[in-house]
Amino acid sequence: MRMSADAKRRLGLLLAAVLLLVLGGLYQQRQQPVTLRIGLFAGSNWDVPDSDSYAVVDAAVEKFEREHPGVTVSYVSGIKKEDYSEWLAGRLLSGDEPDIFVIPGKDFNLYASIGALQPISETGSRDPSFSWEVYYPAALDYGRYDGEIYALPAASVPTLMFVNKTLLAREGIPIPRNDWTWQEFYEICRRVTRDTDGDGRIDQFGVYDYGWRLAAVANGVRLFREDGKASFFADSRMEETVRFLRELHKLEQGREVTARDFDMGRVAFRPFTFAEYRTYKPYPWRIKKYSSFEWDCIPLPAGPSGSSSSSLQTMLMGMSARSHHKGLAWQLLKEICYDPEIQKLTLERSQGLPVRRDVVESGSLQEMPDTASPGGGLDLRVVSAVMDHAVMEPKFARYEEVMMRADSELRGVIDGSIPFDNALNRIQKEINGWLQQ
Amino acid sequence: MAEIMPADGESRIRGLYRLLAVYNGLVVFLMAGFMSITQEKIVSSMAARTFLSSLPIVPLPAAQGFLLAAGSFLLLVLLGFLYRRQLLRSGGQYVVFLAETGACVLLMRSLNLAYDGVVLLVVADLMHRYQGEKQSWLLVGAMFGLYVIANYNLAVFQGHVAPFDAYAAYYRPSVQAWLLAIKNGFVSVNLILFVSWLVLLVQNKHREKERIASLNRQLGEANRKLRAYALEAERMAETRERNRLAREIHDTLGHALTGIAAGLDACIILVDAAPEAAKKQLAKIRETARRGITDVRRSVRKLRPDDLEKLPLRHAMARMVAEFAESSGMKIRLVALGWPDHLREDEEEVLYRVVQEGVTNANRHGHATEVIVTIGTEPGRVYLIIADNGAGCSEVKPGFGLRHMRERLELLHGRLRCWSDQGFTLEAVIPAGTEKGEAYDIDHDRG
Repeated sequence: MRMSADAKRRLGLLLAAVLLLVLGGLYQQRQQPVTLRIGLFAGSNWDVPDSDSYAVVDAAVEKFEREHPGVTVSYVSGIKKEDYSEWLAGRLLSGDEPDIFVIPGKDFNLYASIGALQPISETGSRDPSFSWEVYYPAALDYGRYDGEIYALPAASVPTLMFVNKTLLAREGIPIPRNDWTWQEFYEICRRVTRDTDGDGRIDQFGVYDYGWRLAAVANGVRLFREDGKASFFADSRMEETVRFLRELHKLEQGREVTARDFDMGRVAFRPFTFAEYRTYKPYPWRIKKYSSFEWDCIPLPAGPSGSSSSSLQTMLMGMSARSHHKGLAWQLLKEICYDPEIQKLTLERSQGLPVRRDVVESGSLQEMPDTASPGGGLDLRVVSAVMDHAVMEPKFARYEEVMMRADSELRGVIDGSIPFDNALNRIQKEINGWLQQ
Repeated sequence: MAEIMPADGESRIRGLYRLLAVYNGLVVFLMAGFMSITQEKIVSSMAARTFLSSLPIVPLPAAQGFLLAAGSFLLLVLLGFLYRRQLLRSGGQYVVFLAETGACVLLMRSLNLAYDGVVLLVVADLMHRYQGEKQSWLLVGAMFGLYVIANYNLAVFQGHVAPFDAYAAYYRPSVQAWLLAIKNGFVSVNLILFVSWLVLLVQNKHREKERIASLNRQLGEANRKLRAYALEAERMAETRERNRLAREIHDTLGHALTGIAAGLDACIILVDAAPEAAKKQLAKIRETARRGITDVRRSVRKLRPDDLEKLPLRHAMARMVAEFAESSGMKIRLVALGWPDHLREDEEEVLYRVVQEGVTNANRHGHATEVIVTIGTEPGRVYLIIADNGAGCSEVKPGFGLRHMRERLELLHGRLRCWSDQGFTLEAVIPAGTEKGEAYDIDHDRG
């Protein structure tokens, strides 16, 4: 049976109606003002107090709206950092995720692998007003998954070594150079660790809070395979690291060094993330209350098998793969993560550091009013060098969990409560077991 | 075929098919609904991050996923309807079927490959359409193809859909077990429905085949009876004709001859005693003989072909030729170069019969498409040429037809020649206007 002419006409009419509807819908969409949405959380990415966490984003939004008339940008404020991961997952599942959003480090691999994030390698390479070269490699690598870039770094935080200049001067020790090693570090710690008031108890220490994580990175240990399915705790460099930390720990002769000891000016060294450093500083009463000392920041000491590298924490922002305005979203992403002006604001108004090398290096202490107070200084060129040598933190989903599990074991090994023998082999086996679950 | 299919079987198959379609629709609706509702619940109970980490993709938003599943199912059903109703040309049919398969793949994807029963719906559609002899092969091929598609789907999209288990994992373990059981139950019931449909289809087909076989047998029987009856009828017609002839001869010739014989007996006695009376008697006998001749003539006339009886020869021949041309599809041309004026009835009949036989032979033996019949006169004779463009034959073997023709012609002192070069040509010649031959002396009386 062939289609009758009548049926054909009806089918034609139906098709025409559908076409008209689709075109109408598209036109309607065109006519509507474009609204871009940003997903971000309140407070600092670096787990430090932050009173004005939206300052940088607000400035970027204002600038973007000025540059793109007819486009408005909005974000939901007040989402706490600890709720943010779930909030974002909920939005993704409901299909109304923001066009660009901050990606928690532990969620990055997941979202990149399930296609929630728009790959931007090609977009970035094609954009003549954009260059990958300006970023610190470790920061850029943080947004990479399986060779493809899915997110741009918005801000980074390196770890630096705080040095109590007053204490060292009192002991007649010069401030270590930027390329100091574990050997020098140990030597200084050995010299300053002593009983100053003669009550028979040690009350001056070398270092506080220098953990195995920092030491391992400085000794060039690579703890995990890229995919996070295997660990290398039994590596000889890790063994070297643990041995060093055991020696360092022995200096303290059983006394537990506390943060208060440091605040009181009785500890020579303390590693700080840049953000911790900046939030430590605005509360001078804390130091002034007990003591007053001058301080400086230098890179972490290098292990015998590594360099003075530290791990770089980075805040990532990416684009939704389902965004309806990918071009504009990319422009907005660039505004926040690439624009030198906004990046400079990061230096001035947040606890993090810009991710652009040129912005960090051209910055001055005057732009960081909180650090300009007496007591110490920070050479941004040193910070920049540290960031250049930094390695990125592993970011597979269970990283933090696994590190916590390893931590209690390793602490035991370092403070001598667990015999060293083949502890690392055992830990590696255990961790691999967890990772492969 | 549909017409001779038993109506109740057909309607039962259609009913079961409809049930299969409705059931699949229900399952699609329930499965899509379950996944959508679960997704909503996951978002509202703050379990999205955990849920997402168990998936290889970001699933569609709940409402969209549901609409996609419902939409692709409706599309599948619509295309299946179009396909089964055969509303389009055969090329379009393939496109429709391909589109239906595409809708099936889309539907399975939108249901996260949790339910592949719709493949059977597509197979049913395909089977519905092809009921020819190639059906079984086509069916096996199509089943194979569709299952390859289904498995390919599984293999390729497995990493690209949110697995059903991930949705089920949101619920308590005891509920999970129920969900899994229900899901498997859906698949099983679908399979049962499909197999029932298949059995019904095969049964129906078998019954239909038996019906056809039985009809064939009846037809063969009827045919055989008809042939026997025709033979019988022919024999009866012959007998009747023979009886008629016998009666005619008895009534006419028999009567006259009996009268003549009796009269002659009387004459033999009278001729010496009373010659005058014998003369009278002889005159009477002559009268009887004349009457007998008239009767015989009348009888002979009764035996002539109808057309020839009613029409003059030229019209009868033209009509016969035209009728034959029409019935056989041959092109026959009758060329009259001259019509003989005074032909006797027997001569007319012979000419008529020769043309009839010749044209029939050209059709039957020569398979000719074109025949030219030429009739003409020469002083003292009439000739007839029948030439065809048929196969001819290298050596003429006179069959019954030719021999009969020849015999008829020879009775009139005519002759028959035939040869084949381009086709087959038959030439008959009879002397015309001559009045020889004892057999037709009776015609003298007309004179």
